[in-house]
Amino acid sequence: MFSAIRQVTRARVSLPLRATRSCLPQVSRLPAHRTIVTKRYTEDHESVTFDDATGLGSITITDHAQQTLGDVVFVELPTVGSKFSKGDKLGAVESVKAASDIYAPVSGEVVEVNERLDGEPGLVNRSPDDEGWLCKIKLSEPKEIDKLLTLEAYVKTYEP
Amino acid sequence: MSLPPVFFHYFQTPLPYTRTLALQERIHQIQLASRRASCQHDILLLLQHRPVYTSGRRQTEHELQTERVRLTKLGADFVTTSRGGQLTYHGPGQLVGYPLLDLGRTSPPIGIREYICKMQKMIQSYLFSAHKLTHVPSEHTGVFLDPATKVASIGVQVRHRLTTHGFAMNVTQEPLEWFNKVIACGLADVKAGCIALAAGEQTQVHDVVEGVVDAFSQSYGRDMEKLELESAGELGKAILELELEALEAGGWPRIPIS
Repeated sequence: MFSAIRQVTRARVSLPLRATRSCLPQVSRLPAHRTIVTKRYTEDHESVTFDDATGLGSITITDHAQQTLGDVVFVELPTVGSKFSKGDKLGAVESVKAASDIYAPVSGEVVEVNERLDGEPGLVNRSPDDEGWLCKIKLSEPKEIDKLLTLEAYVKTYEP
Repeated sequence: MSLPPVFFHYFQTPLPYTRTLALQERIHQIQLASRRASCQHDILLLLQHRPVYTSGRRQTEHELQTERVRLTKLGADFVTTSRGGQLTYHGPGQLVGYPLLDLGRTSPPIGIREYICKMQKMIQSYLFSAHKLTHVPSEHTGVFLDPATKVASIGVQVRHRLTTHGFAMNVTQEPLEWFNKVIACGLADVKAGCIALAAGEQTQVHDVVEGVVDAFSQSYGRDMEKLELESAGELGKAILELELEALEAGGWPRIPIS
């Protein structure tokens, strides 16, 4: 369904010029720009997509989670500016009369929450990895990402 | 791999809500801690509450302020909780069940929707087998005797795959007057029903316990074992304490105070 996204984009603005006799202007070479986006999972069915360029992690619940939850009718989100340590309760998702707590997969500060979920909680079911994102965290310890589960390891936690 | 039994206990006296919630929390913490040692027990608490209105996590304190004042004047408690679902009533004459289970015990773990589904099926099959009451299917969670009559409600919280809160089933007519004072579960056109009226029987709550335990066993595929309080350590002590407190709390209003 998804694969751990690992993109390395390298953008070089200009090529170094050779030799001297050309009358082309000298253009200085800008440093190489590289973005790495990593997606990791927790046993409690949260995922975080971390962009090391911005230092932000986008938190979602997984597609497997939304399937086993049923129709989501309400999403309880943290407030912007609140700080969490990894494992703290971040909010909750309610479906079919069951309120399921969500936990912070990484430590950091909430910089944005998905306000659309207020009026459209069903987005979590329809588009758990994309439009149904829950909140964005500015990671205080980016290294925590490495301790989370890869997609393969995550799938093993719930498959028989 | 065969699963260990679910230990159940039925409380003899209607319990104060907040203290029972504290017991659930305590059991939850014990289960979380003993998980590492793989020795935590699945528990089913069966009980009645003293008159209380409770709300779920969707409603804010601000929204509930007026209701809180109005309803406590009737002689009931009012407590906000973290379970799913909205406003409801619990009181004598209604069987309340709190399955405190580890959904991760099985491989694969039981999903939440499945857990709720089994809870609904359990109540439906109990009503039919013990009282010949048929339910009607509904898009709403809970058990309905007809589209406008709800006989049982469900509201659950799940944290790290450990469940708290559960279900409530109206047995006698006593809860109905209290239900009439509110719009329960956000359903304006629905009224509360009970087994006694629907089946034309003089059933009391203690009469239904055995049948519900059996239905639970069938629905969840688990053996059930009565919890022996003396040999249940910390858990047994906490349950005994709560039983004593309930006795000491004395009587309660049978109908809402006007």
